[in-house]
Amino acid sequence: MNSKKVMIVYRKELMEVLRDKRTLFTTLLLPVILYPLLIVGFNAIMARQTGVLEQKRASVAVQDSVMNAASMAIIENLAEIENYTILPAAGNAQALYENRDIQAIVSISDSLTAGGLTAYHIYIQYDTANEQSRTVYSKLKEQLAESEKALMQEQLQLRGVPTDVMNILDVRQIDTASSQRKMGMILGMFLPYIMIIMLLTGASVVAADLVAGEKERKTLETLLVSGIGRLEIVIGKYLTIITLAMLNLVVNLFSISFSMRYMLSQAGMDMSGASLPLNSILILLAAMLPLATLFAAILLSLSTFSRNMKEARTYEQPLMMVSMIMAMISFLPAIEMSNLMALIPVINIALLFKAVMIEEYQVSHLLITIGSTLILDVFAIWATIKLFKTESILFRSDDDSGSIKAIKKNKASFFNPYNGIVYFSIALLLLYYLGSYWQGQDLWRGLLNTQIFIIALPALLLLRILKLNSRDVLRLKPPKLLPVVLVPFMAVPAAILVATLAQLINAIYPFPEQYLENLTKLFKMDIPLWQSFMIIAVAPGVCEELLFRGMFPRFFEKYGMKVNIVVTALLFAAFHLDPFRFVPVFLLGLLLGYQTLRSGSIYLSMLSHTINNGLALFITAFAGERWIKIFISRDDMLQYWLALPALMIFIIALWMFHKVTGEQTCAE
Amino acid sequence: MIRVQNLVKEFPKKDGSKFYAVNDASFTANDGEIVCLLGVNGAGKTTTMRVLSTVFQPSSGTAEIQGWDIITHPHKVRENLGFLSGDTGLYNRLRVHEFIRYFGRLYSISDSEITRRMDEMAELLDMKDFMDKKIEFLSTGMKQKVSIVRSIIHDPPVMIFDEPTSGLDILTARNIVAFIRSCKERGKCVLFSTHIMREAERLADRVVMIHKGRILADGSLEALRETTGQTDLDDIFIHYVNQSDLETEVQAHEF
Repeated sequence: MNSKKVMIVYRKELMEVLRDKRTLFTTLLLPVILYPLLIVGFNAIMARQTGVLEQKRASVAVQDSVMNAASMAIIENLAEIENYTILPAAGNAQALYENRDIQAIVSISDSLTAGGLTAYHIYIQYDTANEQSRTVYSKLKEQLAESEKALMQEQLQLRGVPTDVMNILDVRQIDTASSQRKMGMILGMFLPYIMIIMLLTGASVVAADLVAGEKERKTLETLLVSGIGRLEIVIGKYLTIITLAMLNLVVNLFSISFSMRYMLSQAGMDMSGASLPLNSILILLAAMLPLATLFAAILLSLSTFSRNMKEARTYEQPLMMVSMIMAMISFLPAIEMSNLMALIPVINIALLFKAVMIEEYQVSHLLITIGSTLILDVFAIWATIKLFKTESILFRSDDDSGSIKAIKKNKASFFNPYNGIVYFSIALLLLYYLGSYWQGQDLWRGLLNTQIFIIALPALLLLRILKLNSRDVLRLKPPKLLPVVLVPFMAVPAAILVATLAQLINAIYPFPEQYLENLTKLFKMDIPLWQSFMIIAVAPGVCEELLFRGMFPRFFEKYGMKVNIVVTALLFAAFHLDPFRFVPVFLLGLLLGYQTLRSGSIYLSMLSHTINNGLALFITAFAGERWIKIFISRDDMLQYWLALPALMIFIIALWMFHKVTGEQTCAE
Repeated sequence: MIRVQNLVKEFPKKDGSKFYAVNDASFTANDGEIVCLLGVNGAGKTTTMRVLSTVFQPSSGTAEIQGWDIITHPHKVRENLGFLSGDTGLYNRLRVHEFIRYFGRLYSISDSEITRRMDEMAELLDMKDFMDKKIEFLSTGMKQKVSIVRSIIHDPPVMIFDEPTSGLDILTARNIVAFIRSCKERGKCVLFSTHIMREAERLADRVVMIHKGRILADGSLEALRETTGQTDLDDIFIHYVNQSDLETEVQAHEF
């Protein structure tokens, strides 16, 4: 790589970008104006409005059922509140209250305590959804506390007890948080979120322009035929995106922390000496830099893949959405940085950010975060360079294979990855809205309807409409005997291994109680066992296989068998809408995909899937029996030792399956 | 000089078959010679030129630019090659001199040398008035002149022009034609592609006819006239296309 040429490209791109008024505005000017305006301005308006509310006139109706000196004193005390009018409650008090002419109704009644003392009961009727009514309530309460104190003093004096007994318990708070940490806690909540989004925004403003923009303006070819290699072009552009992203970040960081400091000091928090210390800033920047490089690489590959800027901006949206959701983790309580969390991109930065802000970070987390992001980053930039060298991508022509016209002409062209993702998304939406509605109405009927009407039937109908032979497309071909015999020897051990893995995950990162209860509910439906078996094992075994091993692999055929199996397994896992079981279901999907694509018959994965689900049902149903206790520990978990024989049987069966199915695939 | 040997460039089609954009093409272009690659739209002209300029990798066969192989020495090929097409875009936010200097630096030319050549070309093409202007404020004719300077800033011995006059008005197109002629006068090897017969007739020393990726004929205008017995280049072209049993295809076009 010629670093001199990389720098020539970098300097030129930077110069061009910085001459673009739009980029300058979003990257530099907007943050400088926006935060003071938002935070300080908003704060000033809010303070003013609160003041207005405090000073606002209010009317309170008082219903005094006691009418003695004490109750009169209480009412008199209430009347001392500035700008408040106390009215005796007439018959229309309720109507006035509902009409908002009065903001609260106070009723005073009394009763005798066991010690013979008169106790006063005061009911304050007010509206928590109304800001003014809430302010009135707090003022009334404050004033009533004074009355309470006065009454108590009076009683104590009557009994000849010194009044300083009222100060017997003196509670005071000692706050050990430095103003530094106080600011850190508040900033740590939402700053990571804003920073990550700003980093991505800063990067995406230029990324689309740098390759897709060059394609659109027809300058890319000129650059490619000039005296520079593609690697140098990619790296030069890559550095430009990183620079802009970091620049945007730094400007944002300063603007936001100054505005926040101003706001907190206005709010009465002692902010003397509170500022973001230099080392915190440096740590944050050191952690954000790898993320900037990761975003830059991903955005650059999206830009390379896109035919024009508009397309690039469209592809950026999903990345933006996913990052936003991941960055929101800093808002959640009780999620703290750990070694495991430090491995997950975006989330790790958000949590680390939070920890740095309250000065409670660990260097190991910082290193894992930077390291794991860098590994992803290297992969992403490698992929970008590869994309940039792939002429079918760099000079992608208009692809009309997804159009209805093209499909009518060549029906098989329906099966392309784009349509696969669209089909999957529609099915997922149906599952999310319709499926969950059905299951909420009636669990077992809902499950069955989901399998038939959302998963299987649309696929079969679509093939019918396209007039494609569903037997061929879905691989509905009778398998040979030997592979069929081997399937149970793969399915049962696989189910055990996957269940053991799920248990391990549960042990490390426990599933929520509610989640486990729901899962148990599924296996303990109030229907006969054979019916449960049909719904939980057979229906998914047939329907889900038709879609995930029959239909979906056809969409991704051009990537070859291995990628196809991985992609469909990922979709299969995602379709279960269950983050806790994602990995186990994905692994199961790999096995099922392999069984079908390797043998050419979907019946094998149908059998395998049915056995897998059936086994879980079987264990739950017979968990009480004595003979099953050998395999199940006290807390209804599979014994860990089972994994060993399961693994051995699985490997042998898999090896044999591979052997006996090899010839058939070749013959195909 | 340019030497193309059995060049093949195929693209995969959706149905799994292959589309041959260039199919076993062989021809040469010598120094001081203007060779025209003539063919209808979609004949394979641009693909051939993209392979020659190392933008595309050939599927099989190869080519040499000034003795450098396009597969093994792409960098050397680019150093010896100037490339210009009719719809070349420019970086609008750069000033003219910045734009030219950028490409000069990419060819590892020293700054003083770039300045010298730039001044020389500015004088020659009457560009002095707008060298400091931003490209976005230039007229089409001015932009074309900037493109010309960009393509020869490294003084390459071989020039490739892909449909150089397409989309240009008559005055701007004249600049390009004059420039192509001047390249020949300076002893450069010139290959240009067009689908306009008149342009080929006016400029080319030799015409290479390409159709559906295959080379149909290769020779000087006189030689082609003699072989076919036709005088008009349109008729010569149709003669060769007919000969390759593609009559029905040709009728669909505007020739």
